[in-house]
Amino acid sequence: MASSDAEGLSIPIDDYETLLSTTDVELLKRAWRNEKAAPDILRFETDLIGRIREQIQLMEETAEEKSAAGVDPLSLSLYQMDLDRAQFLLRSYLRIRIQKIEKFVFHIAKTEELWNKLSREEKNFARRCTEDLKQHLEDSVLSKLPENYQSFQKQSVISEEDDMIPEAQLDTFVVCRSKEYLTGIQLEDGPVDDRSMLFEMEPGVLYFICYKSIKALVESGKIDLL
Amino acid sequence: MYGRKACQLVKELASGEKGQLTPFNSDLFEQVVAECTQHHLELQALIRKMQEEGLDVQTTRNAEHHGALIHHLSLVRNKRCLMAYVYNRAETIQSLLWKIGHVLPQEIEEKLCHPEVEYFKKHSAALKSYMSKMQLDLTVDMVPPKDPYIQVRVLDDIGDGIVLSDDKTANFARHSMHFLKRTDAEQFISRGLMEELTG
Repeated sequence: MASSDAEGLSIPIDDYETLLSTTDVELLKRAWRNEKAAPDILRFETDLIGRIREQIQLMEETAEEKSAAGVDPLSLSLYQMDLDRAQFLLRSYLRIRIQKIEKFVFHIAKTEELWNKLSREEKNFARRCTEDLKQHLEDSVLSKLPENYQSFQKQSVISEEDDMIPEAQLDTFVVCRSKEYLTGIQLEDGPVDDRSMLFEMEPGVLYFICYKSIKALVESGKIDLL
Repeated sequence: MYGRKACQLVKELASGEKGQLTPFNSDLFEQVVAECTQHHLELQALIRKMQEEGLDVQTTRNAEHHGALIHHLSLVRNKRCLMAYVYNRAETIQSLLWKIGHVLPQEIEEKLCHPEVEYFKKHSAALKSYMSKMQLDLTVDMVPPKDPYIQVRVLDDIGDGIVLSDDKTANFARHSMHFLKRTDAEQFISRGLMEELTG
């Protein structure tokens, strides 16, 4: 469908596709897909979400105006559907992130790199979450244990590191696709002998790969998760 | 045998259906806590004995040391089991918020222990405060939308005068059928007060 539209507008297909893939809705879709597939939390798309919220508000206002002006119901319903889809993407994106925060809140709260990926509101939520869960664990279990065993982060005072904190599994496998030719990807799984081999990626081809190996490339936006 | 009760506790968790809660087993839970206290007493007794004999607690490797080590490890294991029990239940409680909303039905509340009910309330408040900051209700729109309107049947008397998002009020008498905005209907569906009519 994209190609026939493009002919009508006499824009070269390549340009048209890049144009299409850089609209905010497409960007949100991409962010949403990545967030959904990534085992750990990604950087919050502050600017994008701000723009999307403005657009949604604008669309809502237009929808109201249209319904007040008595535009024909079909076009209004189509408009409403489009709005609903955008709303769903936004809600789902925020929801996935909140659920990741719920799951790994202790780990996120103590790892600065992850903490800085949250939005201001998410940080507030995470702070309350940590506080509440900690309180709950203390009330239910920790306060009843002997003194040296009361930390929620450590098994006992002799543990050297925090060994009671659940964190995201980064060595799971994800499906991904690169937009450009990438080379020199270091594999971080499999037998040790193979790890020195560098892996390359063709654009547009689907790969099934260990998330750890491509984490940095996902964060820099070179690779999309599916 | 040390650690058996804690193991039972975790098994109870593992054998339950995912996302479902079983009643909080406070009886077994307290027994495991008591076992922890007992381990700690014996651990201290053994260390005291070593100190009385003038041995260096850090380096001596005698029978008392190994005994104490067993007690320490059993205690740590029990702690992990207790924490796993409470933590996993807390995760289920979090997921309940998404599934059934901010009001706990009576039959679920009965299965929770007191701190868990408190936790549910606090977590619900935290989530609500996030959503009001974002001015967005995240508990609706759980599935991708197909049609903005859906056909529903009311299963229970919800009453009249319910204000919908387009500022109209509706009378949701039992068994009546309505054509509603999906976002309006979802909250009632998740509480089991309405069902979607398909086909």
